[in-house]
Amino acid sequence: MIPSKFDYYSPATLQEALSLLSEYGDDAKVLAGGQSLVSLLKLRLASPRCLVDLGSIGNLSYIHEDGADNLLIGAMTRYAEIAESKLIAEKCPLLRQTALVVGDVQVRNRGTLGGSLAHADPAGDMPAAILALKADLKATGPKRDRWIKSEDFFLGMYATALEANEILTEVRVPVLNDRQSAYLKAARRPSDFAMVGIAVCLKRAKNGTCEDVGLGVTGITDKPYRPQHVEAKLRGQKLDPAAIGAVAQSITEGIDVNGNIHASPEFRAHLAGVYLSRAIQAAIGS
Amino acid sequence: MMDFDKLFVTRDWFGKPVRRNEDVKFVKGEATYVDDIDMNCAHVAFLRSIFAHARLKKIDTSRAEALKGVLAVITGPEVAEVTKPLPARAITRPARQYVMATGKVRYQGEPIAAVVAEDRYIAEDALELIDVEYEPLQPVMRIEDALKPDAPLLFEEAGSNTLLDDTMEHGDYEKACREADMVLKETFRVHRYSSTPLENWAIIARHDKGTDSFTVWANDQQPGRSMTTVCGTLQIPTHNLRLIVPESGGGFGIKLAIWPYIVILCLLSRKVDKPIKWIQTRREHLLGGTHAPDGIVEIEMPVKKDGTFLGLSVKDYQNDGSFIHTAGIYGLIKFATMVGQYTIKATRMEVLSIATNKGPTVQNRGVGKPTMTFALERMVDIAAKKLGIDPAEIRFRNFVKPEQMPYTTPSGEIYESGDYPECLRKGLALGEYDQCKKQQAELRKQGRYIGVGISTGVEPGTSNLGYYYTSSGVPEYMGSGEGAIVGVDYDGNINVMIGSVDTGQGHATVIGQVISDMLGITPDRVRVDNTLDSFISPYIGHSGCYSNKFNDVDLGAVIKATEKVRARIFTLAAHMLKADVSNLKLGDGHVHVTNDSGKKVSFKDIAALAYKKITLLPEGMEPGLKEIAYYRNPYAKLPNKQNFNVQLTHSNSCHVVTVEVDIETGFVKFLKYVIIHDCGNQINPAIVEGMAIGSTVHGLGATFLEEFVYDDNGQLLTTTFMDYLKPVAATVPHFEMGHHYSPCPTSLLGSKSAGEGGAIGSLAAVANAVEDALSPFDVKVTSLPLTPEKVVKAIKETKVI
Ligand SMILES: Cc1cc2nc3c(=O)[nH]c(=O)nc-3n(C[C@H](O)[C@H](O)[C@H](O)COP(=O)(O)OP(=O)(O)OC[C@H]3O[C@@H](n4cnc5c(N)ncnc54)[C@H](O)[C@@H]3O)c2cc1C
Repeated sequence: MIPSKFDYYSPATLQEALSLLSEYGDDAKVLAGGQSLVSLLKLRLASPRCLVDLGSIGNLSYIHEDGADNLLIGAMTRYAEIAESKLIAEKCPLLRQTALVVGDVQVRNRGTLGGSLAHADPAGDMPAAILALKADLKATGPKRDRWIKSEDFFLGMYATALEANEILTEVRVPVLNDRQSAYLKAARRPSDFAMVGIAVCLKRAKNGTCEDVGLGVTGITDKPYRPQHVEAKLRGQKLDPAAIGAVAQSITEGIDVNGNIHASPEFRAHLAGVYLSRAIQAAIGS
Repeated sequence: MMDFDKLFVTRDWFGKPVRRNEDVKFVKGEATYVDDIDMNCAHVAFLRSIFAHARLKKIDTSRAEALKGVLAVITGPEVAEVTKPLPARAITRPARQYVMATGKVRYQGEPIAAVVAEDRYIAEDALELIDVEYEPLQPVMRIEDALKPDAPLLFEEAGSNTLLDDTMEHGDYEKACREADMVLKETFRVHRYSSTPLENWAIIARHDKGTDSFTVWANDQQPGRSMTTVCGTLQIPTHNLRLIVPESGGGFGIKLAIWPYIVILCLLSRKVDKPIKWIQTRREHLLGGTHAPDGIVEIEMPVKKDGTFLGLSVKDYQNDGSFIHTAGIYGLIKFATMVGQYTIKATRMEVLSIATNKGPTVQNRGVGKPTMTFALERMVDIAAKKLGIDPAEIRFRNFVKPEQMPYTTPSGEIYESGDYPECLRKGLALGEYDQCKKQQAELRKQGRYIGVGISTGVEPGTSNLGYYYTSSGVPEYMGSGEGAIVGVDYDGNINVMIGSVDTGQGHATVIGQVISDMLGITPDRVRVDNTLDSFISPYIGHSGCYSNKFNDVDLGAVIKATEKVRARIFTLAAHMLKADVSNLKLGDGHVHVTNDSGKKVSFKDIAALAYKKITLLPEGMEPGLKEIAYYRNPYAKLPNKQNFNVQLTHSNSCHVVTVEVDIETGFVKFLKYVIIHDCGNQINPAIVEGMAIGSTVHGLGATFLEEFVYDDNGQLLTTTFMDYLKPVAATVPHFEMGHHYSPCPTSLLGSKSAGEGGAIGSLAAVANAVEDALSPFDVKVTSLPLTPEKVVKAIKETKVI
């Protein structure tokens, strides 16, 4: 790796990290697992003057319950820790399932939940799950903390609601109790970014109809999104293949679908419909 | 083939799956690659063209030179002043090109200038300070565009973008067409892909002021040739270049094209007082570290109703990009075995090498045979379908039969051995062909689409390099050979040096096996140094690691040198044991007197006499116990258009594959993958199996994933492994392997090629299987890669992939 020159800081406390961010402003970048940022540095696509490594701040990696039917997850919690956590497997299996299909073993051992959300890759997997779960994200600034709804967090290509002087410190997800969930992704190879990724979090009524549903979609447009119009259409529906199929294609309605060398906009839109059907069926079968 | 009873004194190692003895150091990171050589180097970085096609108006390096830590800068025009242009080999039109861009750039990534600095970071920073004024020209990316009458020219002096257009005809093709019941026609396209060895190109160059000579360490795959091309380009005598090739982390052909960079580093090293190092980055490698060309293959095949293939006509357009040293070579190699495993009597081939603004190409694993086999084996399936004959059956009807061996193809290639029908029979049995076909019918009723595909291919080896010059004139190189040194050291152990350079094949292990059985010792007593040092190692114009030549001429040289050493051992032992040579035999690292149990002398004692107690040597005998030998395959002929016998061994394989296609998503899943491989005598079956599987995975990468994609402006869109997709373990099927053994009469050990078969045969096998799966949708496969999008689109609308 041959990046441009940068200053490297490894603060021991969040306060120190925040003051470095305030001092350097846009010239600083937070370094978490490095699984996206280091690639950018390597290709000199990012040349920050200063890196603030969160790795030495002790208390940013944890998974516990808040006593109000939520799990609190520290931003520096690695994919591998999420995938291995018993608590997550039991209370929010969607996160485990999602973490397991991100990249490869090395990426999962280093990459963090906070990094994946803050990076806001338009094809990132975790953002889809976070959206389907209607999770909340805690931004810590020099003066105060604030909670941001997941649906308000992703603003565009690599752009989030975080301010330059804020650090994402915690993610709050609901315990899934009576909900069923699934994350399915279409990728050229298992370790690749999604051409399409669909997260489903579903509550079914006794008669099998859809009582409530949260959806997260990634890989389609400049940011991961929650297709609320599809959620609305599904609510109250019988969830048989025909009924799901009928709403599936509307998942990209009104969305500016992106294309790249791996899939054109038309193909992505097609896949999104197929994967929505399959993800709902997988959730029902979960 | 030699008489093994005379060649070997034991049979403990030859033919056994001996574990590779070199691997431990590689997996533990203890091998010494170029980058591990630490000699306080300065570091080189290259400024590369951002345009695919542009005139270079001005290069101003003053700001870069002023940067603290920068030691020297060199530019293309400066290089051109002191070097000769690249030597072309296969093309016939004049085209002038230097190792660095001068006057104009012809691909995105072409080197324009290079910087040496105290470290690589400074060198890269300095690149940003070089000001280049470009005048962009219209890029020419596709073959169709290059052929347009008003197309911009890559090389104005050529007067055309077609740098080679040569037609070769053998047998009476017109007659074949007249006698045919129908003439089938199809056009196939194969995309651009490559190999991506773990270790990219790496060079250290040091200039010695006192002698104005260079020492270079480079992971060069064909050092024998590089010696003359580098020195020829620099216009220095060859003894002023000492080329050292240390361990190399994979080659696959790609490292045949490193030599232009050796030239540049030599020139730069002259400007500074330090050795200089350049380690190619992955991005540089993908941009211009050479590709296999993309191409269009137009095929015509006159056939009889009974399925007999009467002739084959191929018009082969090769998008050779912009490296005239290799341009044209792929087509000629395809031509050599264009008839595959079939008794096609009349052939016509037009070979076209097209220059475009894509990156340079070089010989990559299989060199053209993957494309040719893809087109031919697809054509065979198309013929089968058209004629209503089973794809396996039509192949049986046309195969060269074992009793026809040695078989001479219309153009003069001699297939010396092989049993093609038997291999296919084995493949059908192991691949459960009939059962899969039945299952296919069943599953279709459930809306599941499986398909079975067959492909057979010839895998030539030991190429006679001279045929590159078939169209252009007098060969500079011809034949195939190699050199080796085998010596007994003080302790009676064996040391070996060889002109070829292992790039991961396990040469040391295999050499150890052969020598052990020749001398009656164990392989732990044989040390092979894979390093080539042009001042020490034996080498010839062909030395290197390519063309499946190791098992033939490289081991040939080892055998010849070992025979000489063995003869010396016997002579010395006879003297020591006071016995006649005819009464001596080898065993357990000793020479024993036959019929006189107990009397023996160890290699160690023999070595002591040869090296240390030389006063005791018989009068007139020279001291030492080390021998050099060169070997050439004696069957090589002068390259000649009428009699085009260019490769001297011919392995064959057959792939039988069952896949399932998800018609909604276009993803293809393997249900069964069978490879039957015949490479004659297997010296190390474990290595053969690894090679067969590895090369098949390479082919599968090409079939589904790997593709260099350019946009219309000539920008390469696949410059990282996030976009240039390699196969990963999870995408690879479980392979079932079967073997057949047709010993090669023309190699000393009866062995043949093993490194390329899968890369040659797999593309068509999978394409045939996918087309078979999609037959209810009438989809035809004429191109690769089979991306999910193309598959779905073909099912839904286009009907053609
Ligand atoms: C080979 C490979 C394959 C991959 N495959 C996938 C895949 O299939 N799916 C997928 O979703 N991703 C994939 N990724 C990307 C991976 O998920 C990254 O880990 C993730 O996007 C970033 O997390 P990180 O902790 O590594 O963050 P970093 O790379 O350290 O940082 C990323 C960005 O987020 C910022 N940042 C990080 N943490 C915080 C924080 N707490 N607060 C504010 N800003 C912060 C950084 O400043 C930087 O801009 C892959 C990566 C690689 C290298």
